[in-house]
Amino acid sequence: MKIEGTHELRAARERVWQSLVDPSVLQRCIPGCERLEQTGENSYSTILRAGVGSIKGVFQGNVRLEDLRPPAHYRLVVDGKGQPGFLKGAGELELEEMGEGLTVIKYAGDVQVGGTIASVGQRMIQGAAKMMASQFFTALEAEAQTQAGEPPPQHGFFRTALRWLSGLLRRIMRGSK
Amino acid sequence: MIPAQFDYVAPVTLDEALSLLAEHQDEAKILAGGHSLIPAMKLRFAQPALLVDIGRLKDLAYIREEGGQVRVGAMTTHYQLESSARLREICPLLPECAAAIGDVQVRNKGTIGGSLAHSDPAADWPAAILALDAEMIVVSAVGERAIPASDFFVDMLTTALAPNEILREIRVPLPPPRTGHAYAKLPHPASGFAVVGVAASVTRGADGTCESASVGVTGVSVKAYRARGVELALKGGALGQQEIAGAATHAADGVDLNEDLAASADYRRHLAEVYARRAIERAASRVS
Amino acid sequence: MAQKYVGQRVKRTEDPRLIKGLGHYVDDIRLPDTLHVSFLRSMYAHARISGVDVSEALKAPGVVAVYTGRDAAEKIGPVPCAAALPDLKVPDHRVLATDRVYFVGHPIAAVVATDRYAARDAVDLITVDYEELPVVVDAEAAALEGSPVIHEHFGDNIAYRLTAGEGDIEAALASADRRLKQRIINQRLAPVAMEPRGVLARYLPGEEELTVWSSTQIPHLLRTQLALMIGMPENKLRVITPEVGGGFGSKLNVYAEEALLGWIAMQLGRPVKWIETRRENMQATIHGRGQVGEIKIGCREDGTLTGLRYNVVADLGAYHQLLTPAIPTLTGLMLSGCYKIPAIQINVTGVFTNKVATDAYRGAGRPEATYVVERALDLVAAELGLDVVEVRRRNFPKPDEFPFKTATGLFYDTGDYEAALDKALANSDYTKLREEQKRAREEGRLVGIGVSTYVEICALGPSQAMPAGGWESATVRIEPTGKVTILTGASPHGQGQETSFAQIAADELGVRIGDVTVIHGDTAIVQYGIGTFGSRATAVGGTAVYIAIERLKEKAHKIAAHILGADASSLAFSEGRYSLTGAQVAAGAEVPEPVVPVAQAPAAALPEPQTEGKRSLTLQDIALAAHLAKELPPDMEPGLSATYFFEPKNFTFPFGTHIAVVEIERDTGEIKFQRYVAVDDCGRVINPMLVDGQIHGGIVQALGQALYEEVVYDEQGQLVTGTLMDYAVPRAKMIPWLELDRTETPTPVNPLGVKGVGEAGTIGATPAIVAAVVDALAPFGVRHLDMPIKPETVWRIVSQQTSGGGR
Ligand SMILES: Cc1cc2nc3c(=O)[nH]c(=O)nc-3n(C[C@H](O)[C@H](O)[C@H](O)COP(=O)(O)OP(=O)(O)OC[C@H]3O[C@@H](n4cnc5c(N)ncnc54)[C@H](O)[C@@H]3O)c2cc1C
Repeated sequence: MKIEGTHELRAARERVWQSLVDPSVLQRCIPGCERLEQTGENSYSTILRAGVGSIKGVFQGNVRLEDLRPPAHYRLVVDGKGQPGFLKGAGELELEEMGEGLTVIKYAGDVQVGGTIASVGQRMIQGAAKMMASQFFTALEAEAQTQAGEPPPQHGFFRTALRWLSGLLRRIMRGSK
Repeated sequence: MIPAQFDYVAPVTLDEALSLLAEHQDEAKILAGGHSLIPAMKLRFAQPALLVDIGRLKDLAYIREEGGQVRVGAMTTHYQLESSARLREICPLLPECAAAIGDVQVRNKGTIGGSLAHSDPAADWPAAILALDAEMIVVSAVGERAIPASDFFVDMLTTALAPNEILREIRVPLPPPRTGHAYAKLPHPASGFAVVGVAASVTRGADGTCESASVGVTGVSVKAYRARGVELALKGGALGQQEIAGAATHAADGVDLNEDLAASADYRRHLAEVYARRAIERAASRVS
Repeated sequence: MAQKYVGQRVKRTEDPRLIKGLGHYVDDIRLPDTLHVSFLRSMYAHARISGVDVSEALKAPGVVAVYTGRDAAEKIGPVPCAAALPDLKVPDHRVLATDRVYFVGHPIAAVVATDRYAARDAVDLITVDYEELPVVVDAEAAALEGSPVIHEHFGDNIAYRLTAGEGDIEAALASADRRLKQRIINQRLAPVAMEPRGVLARYLPGEEELTVWSSTQIPHLLRTQLALMIGMPENKLRVITPEVGGGFGSKLNVYAEEALLGWIAMQLGRPVKWIETRRENMQATIHGRGQVGEIKIGCREDGTLTGLRYNVVADLGAYHQLLTPAIPTLTGLMLSGCYKIPAIQINVTGVFTNKVATDAYRGAGRPEATYVVERALDLVAAELGLDVVEVRRRNFPKPDEFPFKTATGLFYDTGDYEAALDKALANSDYTKLREEQKRAREEGRLVGIGVSTYVEICALGPSQAMPAGGWESATVRIEPTGKVTILTGASPHGQGQETSFAQIAADELGVRIGDVTVIHGDTAIVQYGIGTFGSRATAVGGTAVYIAIERLKEKAHKIAAHILGADASSLAFSEGRYSLTGAQVAAGAEVPEPVVPVAQAPAAALPEPQTEGKRSLTLQDIALAAHLAKELPPDMEPGLSATYFFEPKNFTFPFGTHIAVVEIERDTGEIKFQRYVAVDDCGRVINPMLVDGQIHGGIVQALGQALYEEVVYDEQGQLVTGTLMDYAVPRAKMIPWLELDRTETPTPVNPLGVKGVGEAGTIGATPAIVAAVVDALAPFGVRHLDMPIKPETVWRIVSQQTSGGGR
């Protein structure tokens, strides 16, 4: 299954690139990434708690960065296996500087899923993949925007997003009453 | 098709349920009608450690008129909504939408709250709830808040509900006079969920033109949405066949389209347009 | 014999218990101490397994044992394939995968635990090291040189090639006025029996007896095969088939799980049970159809066919199940349809793919053939601008040409194809339908009429043509108390033969239907039988019952003559009683009560038969006398029972006409039925309600193939339609009102005159529905569409040709 998309990040390309090759940043940005351990140059083993909404699964697998051409391009290769099945994906990321402090990331890749997810998740997989990609880039943007030395932003994905949202809503609600 | 192990509690008060959620956060899951959660658990896609069955909170199942609103308890079943004679008079979109869901067994067990909280991209209720500009009343151990429908659906299977919150009530403003409703759906041949579902609420001015329209669309994208482009095109205009058809062309503007064995993205876009046209035509024809 | 029951709409005697939930399916059978099995199945379509680690699973609470391919494969023989074809490549099919997995759902390990939940939980604790291998999904590509090879030692994926047919096909095509060709696809379908498979096995070490309860269509054949696989004496093995919730051919098989469970029960000395989940059912129970081919048709200007060639690739899956390679040969046999086609040729290439096996699914090869032939006739009609009905008429053999020999080597027993066609045309008011269609088209509406005239092959069949015997058996007994017991070797699982066989017996014996019990599906009770498939149970099994009854009556007749002291020729049988000719039996006399009303029967002894001074004897009197054996003719065997094994001399060939009328919504391509008219001829009808039920179900499954169903694997061999949320089985609201009618052309092949009806609906309806949609789109130049015809396909045709794209 092909997925592709474009994300605009309000951050300079250099900084985005730095974040994209920093394993601790990656761990924070990959949705549901519970562990990312270096196993070689640009390759890592990982535990992912991936999913959308109440539907989640734990995957163990590997992440590899290939064909690094700083600060414009790399290829991301991911595979994971777990109780709900397996997923494999490879995608090219292209970073383009679009003027002052604005980077556009184009990604295009192929995701394969197998096992239970493949046979019952048909109608949702594409959407879920896109959703996770967009979560990744949103987090990445926040990372790239933090200045060196600042504490890294907290993602802890769904929870932070939801906390933020409910906080926001509470504020709005109070304001409206 | 056997779920992983879980603990099960069936509290008898809402407070009890809320404190369980506060304690267990996202390790716990509310069980309402079970018609979305249990299938996910049987596939082991969902493996909650604790199920909090709110089936015994009977006072969460009701349909009331209060404060210019129809108030529906989250545990009200699809069937209860479908069969309410009063709703057919005052807010016919609710029973019409309910009747389009699944089959009799599903409608007897499934609840409106469960459907909204689950937020399946092809569920029927979100379209109607969006078109009716409803408000979700959600509670947690620390208090209550209201979420407008347009903010409630965040992404695929993701709502604005926090893990410690329960959707308690859905508040639907009573439709103004000269308002017509309709829900038009193409069911998926296997699941019965919406390949495309469009809920329309159309209010005519005294001169018969469109005073306002709201259109909720489900099945087309990762989450249900308001088709603002359609609404805008209708507003203030005549409600003739041509005008409606023209407005309906905006039904899938600006959304990422779902694609599956039942319909490609292209076809879905087209179906969204056709079903929007049908829903709006029917809604408009129901206002004299 | 008076026909009090036969021919009547007798309600199914099976139903009350089923409706009340009192029936017993495999899962309803509970034995103390039962262990439960859950399978780990491959999530890859093709992979090498370098290791299976079960140590964690073994430590899990409740787990008693875990078996892998290495433990079991050596001990249990291969899963059998009964199809004998020249040069067939037969892969070694072990009950659990050993070093490779070949399809998603391929079982790798079996966990045995104290309950289903513990077993299932422990499955997640097994780790398998897979090394992925290239996957072969597309059947046509599988046959090409350069394709990855699934079973390496075979060198390619071609399991067999077969050419069949008679007549000079080259000449027939060359000399035709017109030659047409068309690509034809019969997509893979999942049988989706309501009750999935299930096995319960118990070994009694003292008695050395293994009992296997299985949801199967073939208890005896299964027993024989299990005995061979497990290496156990067949007479110590008992297969019981309790209530079976549908099979449609998917349970006409011998599955790995059946043997494995039997073997595990022997290893552990405790009963073990496995109930298939729906997901397993979609992945690991056989699929049906799966043919991709091309037809070449030769015809004359008048529409008569000169020749038909079908080159087809059959998607067999990774392994052969019981009949996998044989199914396409049935397609070959039926390629003449109900037409005179002088030259026919089928060229089958059976290929291995990384999918579960295909095998018999309702119709089993015949729906594929009928679809091919009916599409061919429609193409000819379109080519020549003839009405589809006229083209059919011109190709029919006439009633006096029967038995009719086809170029596929069959002799059709009897048939009156025009009669069924004419009745269907009259019932549907075909001429008017066409006029209405014309008007509709003028209004821009898309209305289509599809006609299919089919013939099928039933009552399988003469043993010469069958892999494991084509006869069927019956024992009929009259018990001392006068009750009638029938033991049939057929294995009904929804068809209603407990009712229809009782109807036959009640009429032939002159007893009440309630006094007849039909027993089936227990190899320890019932004499060897073949089973229920191929629309054979009534035509072959029912005939065995009928003839056994005749045999029993011959004996009863002799006993009656002896007791009444009369010459046999002076006795006549009527209304359940042998009477001296001339003895007056009150006209319309009630069927006699059994001689011993149970409530009054003395506890210990049976009463003496009341024979003194009688001029007539009921069968019950005779049964009792036969058991007490005090008044029997010299040298006569006591008891009143007869067993008969009926060997049919030929198949039977039911036929009919189906007419579908649809209208297409221009906007969306949605297909709506306007009418559905069918006239089926299945020979003599025992119970019209059962026949209607079979036709209904058959049409529904045909409609599924035509419009909704398709098993989809992605390019990695992942099963995409793995649940009923994705695989679209037709629902009640998708079914039009079915206007059914019949003609009755009895067959001479059996004394009952019945042909069989279990699969007719599936065979006749698919082409009618497809033809109707194609006809609706004829104004757009459409002559053929592939199944399932989805609204999107239709919409693309309509929208592209009306406005050059979507609106
Ligand atoms: C065969 C079948 C066909 C169906 N067809 C359709 C269809 O055509 N259209 C359609 O729209 N739906 C369909 N459904 C889904 C059905 O409507 C479900 O009932 C509904 O989506 C969920 O409601 P529930 O009460 O069953 O919720 P559950 O399954 O009990 O819960 C669903 C989710 O919501 C959460 N939840 C439930 N209630 C609350 C609450 N009050 N507050 C916070 N969280 C809550 C649960 O924790 C869970 O995560 C179908 C389901 C089946 C099984």
